[in-house]
Amino acid sequence: MAGPGPRPGRPSRPDIVVTYLGRRLIGAVLMLLVVSMVTFAIFFVVPLVAGGSSENLAARYVGRTAGSEEVADTAERLGFNDPLPVQYGRWLKGIVAGDEYDLGPSVERCPAPCFGYSFINRSPVWPELLDRLPVTLSLVVGAATIWLLAGVSIGVLSALRRGSVFDRAAMGVALGGVSLPIFFTGLLSLVIFSYGLGWTAPGSSFTPLLENPAQWAYNLILPWVTLAFLFAAIYARLTRAGMLETMSEDYIRTARAKGLPERRVVMKHGLRGALTPIVTIFGLDVSLLMGGAVLTESTFSLPGLGKYAIDAITTNDLPKVMGVTMLTAFFVVFANLIVDIVYGVVDPRVRLG
Amino acid sequence: MKKRLVGAVAMSTALALTIAACGGDGGDPDDSGGTATAEFDAATGQVFNASDEQGGTLRYAITEDWDSVDPGDTYYGLSWNLLRLYGRTLTMFNPVPGQGSAEVIPDLAESLGEPSDDGRTWTYVLREGLVYEDGTPITSQDVKYAVMRSIHKEVLVNGPTYFGDALALEEGFESPYENPDTDTAAIETPDDRTIVFHLKEPFGGFDFFAQLPQTAPVPQDKDTGIRYRDHVVASGPYMFEEYNEDANFTLVRNPNWDPATDPNRPALPDRIEVTLNVNQDDLDNQILSGDLDVDLAGNGIAAAARTRVINDPALLAQADNPAAPRLWYTSINPHVAPLDNIECRKAILFAADRTSYLTAYGGQYGGDIPTHLLPPQIPGSQEFDLYPAGPDNTGDLEAAQAALDACGQPEGFATKMAFRSDRPAEQQTAEALQQSLGRVGIELELVGYPTGDYFSTYAGDPEFRDSESLGLMTNGWQSDWADGFGFFSQIVDSRTIRPGSSNLSVYLDEVDQLLDQAVAQTDLDAQQAIWAQIDQRVMEEAVILPGVFSKALTVRPQNGTNIFVNEAYGQYDYMMMGVDQG
Amino acid sequence: MAIGSEPRTTGKLAVPIGTDPVDPSRAPGTRIEGRSLRQVAWRRLRRDRGAMAGAVVVILLILMAVFAPLIVDLLGHPPNEFHQDTIDPATQLPEFRFPFGGFSAEYLMGVEPPFGRDIFSRIIYGSRISLLIAFLATMLSVVLGSTMGVIAGYFGGWVDTVISRAMDVFLAFPILVFAIALAGVVPDRAFGLSGDTLRIVLLIFIIGFFNWGYIARIIRGQTLSLREREFVDAARSLGARGPYIIFKEIVPNLIAPIVIYSTLLIPTNIIFEAALSFLGVGIRPPTATWGGMLSEAVRYYTLPHFVFWPGLAIFITVLSFNLFGDGLRDALDPKTR
Repeated sequence: MAGPGPRPGRPSRPDIVVTYLGRRLIGAVLMLLVVSMVTFAIFFVVPLVAGGSSENLAARYVGRTAGSEEVADTAERLGFNDPLPVQYGRWLKGIVAGDEYDLGPSVERCPAPCFGYSFINRSPVWPELLDRLPVTLSLVVGAATIWLLAGVSIGVLSALRRGSVFDRAAMGVALGGVSLPIFFTGLLSLVIFSYGLGWTAPGSSFTPLLENPAQWAYNLILPWVTLAFLFAAIYARLTRAGMLETMSEDYIRTARAKGLPERRVVMKHGLRGALTPIVTIFGLDVSLLMGGAVLTESTFSLPGLGKYAIDAITTNDLPKVMGVTMLTAFFVVFANLIVDIVYGVVDPRVRLG
Repeated sequence: MKKRLVGAVAMSTALALTIAACGGDGGDPDDSGGTATAEFDAATGQVFNASDEQGGTLRYAITEDWDSVDPGDTYYGLSWNLLRLYGRTLTMFNPVPGQGSAEVIPDLAESLGEPSDDGRTWTYVLREGLVYEDGTPITSQDVKYAVMRSIHKEVLVNGPTYFGDALALEEGFESPYENPDTDTAAIETPDDRTIVFHLKEPFGGFDFFAQLPQTAPVPQDKDTGIRYRDHVVASGPYMFEEYNEDANFTLVRNPNWDPATDPNRPALPDRIEVTLNVNQDDLDNQILSGDLDVDLAGNGIAAAARTRVINDPALLAQADNPAAPRLWYTSINPHVAPLDNIECRKAILFAADRTSYLTAYGGQYGGDIPTHLLPPQIPGSQEFDLYPAGPDNTGDLEAAQAALDACGQPEGFATKMAFRSDRPAEQQTAEALQQSLGRVGIELELVGYPTGDYFSTYAGDPEFRDSESLGLMTNGWQSDWADGFGFFSQIVDSRTIRPGSSNLSVYLDEVDQLLDQAVAQTDLDAQQAIWAQIDQRVMEEAVILPGVFSKALTVRPQNGTNIFVNEAYGQYDYMMMGVDQG
Repeated sequence: MAIGSEPRTTGKLAVPIGTDPVDPSRAPGTRIEGRSLRQVAWRRLRRDRGAMAGAVVVILLILMAVFAPLIVDLLGHPPNEFHQDTIDPATQLPEFRFPFGGFSAEYLMGVEPPFGRDIFSRIIYGSRISLLIAFLATMLSVVLGSTMGVIAGYFGGWVDTVISRAMDVFLAFPILVFAIALAGVVPDRAFGLSGDTLRIVLLIFIIGFFNWGYIARIIRGQTLSLREREFVDAARSLGARGPYIIFKEIVPNLIAPIVIYSTLLIPTNIIFEAALSFLGVGIRPPTATWGGMLSEAVRYYTLPHFVFWPGLAIFITVLSFNLFGDGLRDALDPKTR
């Protein structure tokens, strides 16, 4: 584990921030390109390698009553017979400039950003992704708040009272927490709290925040807590380990030697050092979940991006799955950027000028 | 006389049975029959809680989204049931309980079709004063346009193909999507209220075609191809207030609908709300708790809720067990060795455990075990059993062994079984057959394919299924209407076989000819005898293993009124239901 | 200041290893080293009751998986066999539902609706799939990750840049969505394989392949620091060449982190496999898997036993590996205790 640390002998300069950001930005774009290429390959090359044909893809657009000639026509018109790089280029262009899907007599517009055009319900994917995003956003933001607060404070307390009853109990629960898959805890909590006791909303309940905030929170409380339980367990363990490590660092010893009050040493110096890796992981976790908390959403039947992806996979609607995958990759890359910037704030060893 | 052949059949059976049919044309439910006593099956064969009280909101939900709300682009029973609220077709099924629903009655048209030219030409005259939700008049040209657009399968991919197959369309006919000014002599509109259909072949059952959603009028200037579903222009008592694809929609009263032009629709509730993509268990629980009214899919409650309902007499009294004209079955591919030998196919029919097949579809409340193909509610259905499965219906292993010996495979053989992997019941069917056929050494390798591509690309593609050696394939068919043609034409006619066809295993010239004879047959009894003959012939060939005549365990809406099962759909009649304001 | 290419841990492994090879502020001497440390570690590990309990359960689980046919022969029924006599035809549920559906001496954990398959046998057989996939996938990640990590760390320069970028890409992947999609698009017969064999190979590949980035990142960091250490310099000045230094000087010192991370990766992979089967893209039914049983159980949530047993099986297995892995890490790297 390592936070980015300054290499000795390299002075930092103010304009380095700009250069740094520029480089990261270019890196991020390149990374998105690579991810999109791999994604594209998986969805369009793997099925072909495994024995499919471009007609198979076209058949999904025209429905089961179409004749084989219509299917072949459609495959040709939609360009499924073009070389793969050409198809990839067209797909990429669609994101920037929009695309048109020539379904024979009717030409369907897919305005930019065109993340593909669904086989099954024959509509652009992007607006559907936007429809699902608030659900996932609500789920993840709520859960992340809970797990960050709970996980970090439990971790810090455990580290400070290392070996105490609290530490042992907390770490025992945390170990159990990371050992329980979310689709099991989710199912169990639904059975107990929703169907059994009737305290919480049943699955597949979602109310937009702006429509009714109380209902929104009521419907989401169970998924929040379940998801947060898993991550709080991970974060408590991470924070504790990080704190123990940081508290043995030289600069903490120095701070103590300077006669700073212990409270200040812990809060200002210890926690900062321990939080550095947490920030990275938090960014990654949140961004990965933003692209679909697949398991949570399918356990609680929440109509978010993850459920959307799963439903699309069961119906073999590849453009939708690709859309979700790309969106997630975008979130992750974006979160990486943010994390790099945040580093400057939390890590005492990093100073961006 | 060929006139209104099949309709007449249905009507006579309805009269013969006289099942407490209430309010013949639907309008006044108080006059006869019906019940207000909550008991099991209270809404099957009679009206439960009859009422003509208007107002309130009916709340529907469904676990998925179906093909489309566009009347020209849909092939789901639930959708055909629901769309009568906002769309009107030339004719419709009589919305009454019991077998009376097999009768076709006029809807947009003043009367049923007037055939001439030996059943090749059918004429309908629209009622006077018909308008859309925006007040513009509905003309016969709109009906013609709706039918012409629905023929274009590359745009409107989902609906049935009956019109395209039966109409005497010119060679090189262009759909309105290919040429907006297209026209055809196969459909004439001599004036704004008259529409004349010309068919290739004489066909006595055209009134059944005329009830298809594809005859619901569509104004050409409002048609936006597949996006028409975003705003379907209503001709019925309700119109779309909002439509959020893949999420929910709301129907509200259509202010321009005139009840005087529509004797069939009571239009009881003020609003109808439909929520999509609700988890099945949650949906069931919400219906049991009264937070929802109807599961739109009409397939009944799932395992968890079923336990609750069956074990609780009070809940069971709120439930119905309607039968649909639907058969779940397994196609046996005669092109794959050793199933090309009829004896090996017979071995499968004898060895299959019919009880566990039914278990996959919900056991006792999920349906009945068939021994042949034509569901009992379809006129002409005759019961016979060529492959008795033993006293407890778990298979006759001795007969199966004898068939295997005759086939030259005394040790059994291995083959593949395809199923739709996202359908739990079909997966369980495959597992059940794997177990029961394994008893005589027939080893099944199970292969799942996604439903969306099952017919177009996998099991339904003759080349694919033969080259991949798919021996057994799960399948199912619900009659498009309660008649032998509606049931058989798509599943046993070998001429329909091409990628996408539902007929996966019946390649019999003899059956094709029987179908042609039946369609051309003028005598009703003779026609029904042919349906039974087809049933018999296909079973003799042992290319289909019948699994389940389907039933659903459904729960009535707690404060619903005027509830009954429409047997044409095997579901509650969504057009007739109201809300108790009490 | 070169902030761009620093290594980072990611969220998958629950606790990071406490060495930071490029951090100059770290005091030397806390590093894992030599045989004597191994002995010390072993002594520590033996004193850690949690870790030892975990180890015992892990061994029992492995034995259970290996001898599954024998155990089932003695105490159960073939895992896919139907017992419809135990099922009520109306409700389709096991005849007795209390305390646990169909629970008896005949069916130790009750039976599954709707066909009455023996849950005990399915749990036992499920362990085979679970452990097989988790072990082999972990091996694949470790082999790939260590190789890449060592190459990147040792050679540095453009090699390092390329590999590090590749790691970034892998870490940026929405792995679960991706794995689901990949498992979904591969047909039932591909690459000359079919049935369970194909699915198992596929899952091992998917799970193993998408996880190598984590290991590689750690190994790269370790290698970077080892490369600069005195004993490596000494070997180099004595004329040792690249391969010799890698295999004789560096790799032996990487064994400890590799072992720790393998042990901690196994439980993650068990959950990963269960998740894929739960979502319906893993091993196909009727082959028994814990995740698959849970996803069946969703439809019968009124039967707690059906949810309970596979959930418990996953929990115990994952917990034991985590306990053992934690203990191992603490023993080899005491700083984080």
